[in-house]
Amino acid sequence: MVEKKAFSRDVLYIEEPEILLDKIVNKLREDVFHRFRRKGGVVGISGGIDSSVTLAIAARAYGPEKVLGVLLPEHDSSPDSKELALELANKFGVKTVEENISNALAGFGCYHRRDEAVRSVVPEYNPETDKMKIVIPREILEKKLPPVFYVTVIFADGSEVSKRLTPAAYLQIVAASNFKQRSRMSMLYYHAEANHFAVIGTPNKHEVKQGFFVKFGDGGADVMPIGSLYKTQVYQLARYLEVPQKIIERTPTTDTYTAEQTQEEFFYQMPFEKMDLLWFGWENGYAAEEVAPVLEMTTDDVLNNYANFERKVKTTDYLRSAPLHDYNFL
Amino acid sequence: MSMMEEIKGYIAETTFTDPTQIKEETMLFEEGIFDSMGLLNLIAFLEEQFGVKTEDTDLMEENFQNLKAIEAYVTRKKG
Repeated sequence: MVEKKAFSRDVLYIEEPEILLDKIVNKLREDVFHRFRRKGGVVGISGGIDSSVTLAIAARAYGPEKVLGVLLPEHDSSPDSKELALELANKFGVKTVEENISNALAGFGCYHRRDEAVRSVVPEYNPETDKMKIVIPREILEKKLPPVFYVTVIFADGSEVSKRLTPAAYLQIVAASNFKQRSRMSMLYYHAEANHFAVIGTPNKHEVKQGFFVKFGDGGADVMPIGSLYKTQVYQLARYLEVPQKIIERTPTTDTYTAEQTQEEFFYQMPFEKMDLLWFGWENGYAAEEVAPVLEMTTDDVLNNYANFERKVKTTDYLRSAPLHDYNFL
Repeated sequence: MSMMEEIKGYIAETTFTDPTQIKEETMLFEEGIFDSMGLLNLIAFLEEQFGVKTEDTDLMEENFQNLKAIEAYVTRKKG
């Protein structure tokens, strides 16, 4: 039996990255070549850390000639993304194709439906000139309530307004925005099928476990090689694999709404370094009393976070569930 | 039907929870009966049913944590 390590700030440090990478690469080959009988992989690359590490690992597993990097920009994408994604593909010798999905999204009514919902709460919002994002005010979390969503509109003159969303407006904004991830997934499968490749998904452990992904969107893939890695471990592998420094230094964003929004601001509510350790502590049954002093938190704070993780796993179970087909009553 | 019964009925119906499991002091969020959407929907229900407009400053655990707290909150707002 493996002895449980004492809880420390270094508990997630990967001692031997080469050995871990070998194991991931071998499994990727086994799954894609032998189980799925596909001859390579397609990776959607955004210039973010997760897709970059995934691409680097896929290139190592299949050889760069059997990997295709797909850039999927749309109307609201950050212009930096393309430059970084190309630099990454170049670094690992992977071919790329760019597919702008803006017209597909306009066809689905993605922007129109989203903007209509925003205007139902902030009537003066003008999508031509203003920017928007969904936020969870920090004060709400400090009051021990579940996250309550607000829309923030940043007007052309730089002024801002934040209003609490109605249930209908919130659901419509999310449903409309999710067209982005689902359209990307469709395009990735186009290229995968056209090349007889598999789709290599990019979510990390937190995204998978906490449900920070779109079902059948970025959650739609054949394999997810970094799906068991904490964010700090993804960064460690990025450095080890020599992912371009600009990508490593970039703040992770949601790249979903028109206004710039970090993942920490929208979903996680705390820095990755802290969340990784708290999640590890919770998942592995470390007592709050052991974790609290290491993270310079109170025991109550640790317990609140544990309870929050438990709630998140429970409430996002639907997202991770595959279609239920055990309806055989004959 | 009392206000508490109405609120309880709404919560039970929208969360697919057995009403007998929702007691006056059952902690709705801690027990996982309510999540974010549940809270947003409850706020909309209180406005529609009782004419109570929830301000941002009202968003406190003390006002929404259980049936007893919600009833006291609505009564206070209506008064």
